[in-house]
Amino acid sequence: MNVMITGAAGGLGRALANECGSRGFNLFLTDVNEDGLLSIKLGLERQFNVTVTTKSCDLTNAESVDKMLAIIDKYGIRFDMLLNIAGLDFEGEFIGRDREKLVKIVMLNNAATLRITHAIIKRRRPGKHFTIVFVSSLASMFPMPLKATYAASKRFLLDFAASLRQELKKEDVNVLALCPGGMVTTQETLCSIKAQGFWGNVTTNPLEDVARNTIDRALAGRSIYVPGIPNRLLSFFGKIMPRSWVAAVVYWRWNNAQSKWLNHN
Amino acid sequence: MKTIVITGASSGIGLETARILTRKGFNVLGIGHSEVNCNRAKGSILSENPDADITYFLADLMQQREVIRVADEITLCLNQKSNGKLHALINNAGCVRSWYMTTEEGYEQQFALNHLAGFLLTYKLLPALKKAHGRVIMTGSESHKGIRVHWDDVMLRRRYNPLTAYKQSKLCNLLFAKGLNDRYATAAIRAYVVDPGLVKTGIGNKETGWLVNFIWTLRKRGGVQPEVPAETYAFLCERETVPDGLYYYLCKKKNYSKQVTSENADRLFKLSERLCGIEYENEIAHDRKVRAK
Repeated sequence: MNVMITGAAGGLGRALANECGSRGFNLFLTDVNEDGLLSIKLGLERQFNVTVTTKSCDLTNAESVDKMLAIIDKYGIRFDMLLNIAGLDFEGEFIGRDREKLVKIVMLNNAATLRITHAIIKRRRPGKHFTIVFVSSLASMFPMPLKATYAASKRFLLDFAASLRQELKKEDVNVLALCPGGMVTTQETLCSIKAQGFWGNVTTNPLEDVARNTIDRALAGRSIYVPGIPNRLLSFFGKIMPRSWVAAVVYWRWNNAQSKWLNHN
Repeated sequence: MKTIVITGASSGIGLETARILTRKGFNVLGIGHSEVNCNRAKGSILSENPDADITYFLADLMQQREVIRVADEITLCLNQKSNGKLHALINNAGCVRSWYMTTEEGYEQQFALNHLAGFLLTYKLLPALKKAHGRVIMTGSESHKGIRVHWDDVMLRRRYNPLTAYKQSKLCNLLFAKGLNDRYATAAIRAYVVDPGLVKTGIGNKETGWLVNFIWTLRKRGGVQPEVPAETYAFLCERETVPDGLYYYLCKKKNYSKQVTSENADRLFKLSERLCGIEYENEIAHDRKVRAK
């Protein structure tokens, strides 16, 4: 089984790479962080008897992606699974944020994800089942003031995954949207979760469980995975409550949490 | 003047050990990962003892390339300062985590810092230790008891429990020391593990969640000041005749877990060598024969 992982040098990317490695899957890893890629490649090869290939690439740059695809084609690598992990998040009021940084969220989370997905579906192993995972978020279930761009970009992926799944059913492709709450991947995420207090703790998912269940469910043909019962309840309420109410509640909560978080830093 | 390297030397037990050893006239090379903490530690030691010979190196020992970089810097420094001799290496840096978090290599962080970092650093500094018939000291814990190494899932990815990961990493410290003694008795290198007891440090309050934070804040109230275990490190470094024994608490030998066997130590060496991409020289067979005689 050949698996491509984007954003493989980050927390969730590394956890999924470990999970795939432990299952004996061969890996093609990409990320903008070249040093990080080399480290995770070493770690995987030392832990598991799998082939790991890496190529650093800026997915928001079409030229950079084409260079990577040229290497993939040169060696005739064909894939059975694509894990779209690369993504960005900035928190704060829309008007108070740097304009280009906001645009970059959509450029990476959406535009770049479409680019690489299109390219890798074309390079799937012929005649075999193919699996795609998009990392959406619990944030995709609600309008989220103060995380407006991020949440909307994740909503895009959630809806896109559902549509693409229908289109590709006849091609023997399964598409899964992963919608996790917070995950402790870095010191920064830890601070942000702490600042959210009780709800931060309740919605936080263990990274290793999310990684294992994501692969299990993707291979079992599931369409969506919301880890943890509290998150499933929240996503249910998000669906039945009027969107303007949800926005008001979320605004109130994030306003408190973010001021705490900003003070903490 | 004898030189000693201490990791995690910018706060807690490492800082107090550095303070006491400089007071006793050792030349101390400390490693810390925060520049602010290192500067503060250095200032605090020098304010008490302006003649203290203390140098700090910055490194995030969680990442293996950082371990290798700082080991090279230290080797260079040893060549300039003490004819390339290292009297003791104190692998003290450690962490507690509430969640499964990984290093750049994708290794679980408690296993990576508490065990692998020391394993790799010792390997890199072995030539300097051999020259001085040096000592290697790990900061262990009583919590190494009542557990075995989960060989089939050493990073505990399948069922992560932060306390299990911590306990296992501390058992690894003892197995590492045991393995070093098995291998390097003839090279006159001795390895020890110090049980610091319950100490008032910040280990459980750094990068942990509310539960670990809360429990540690309560627990450490009953703990001793870090100066207390620092005496044991000083004792092991200072003694002219090489102390025997493996596990020390308050300058005295102590019993350790039955899991600490040469067989398990060999197994841990093989695994850790693979995870660090290194190979300790295989003097073990020779050493065991010598001791059997």
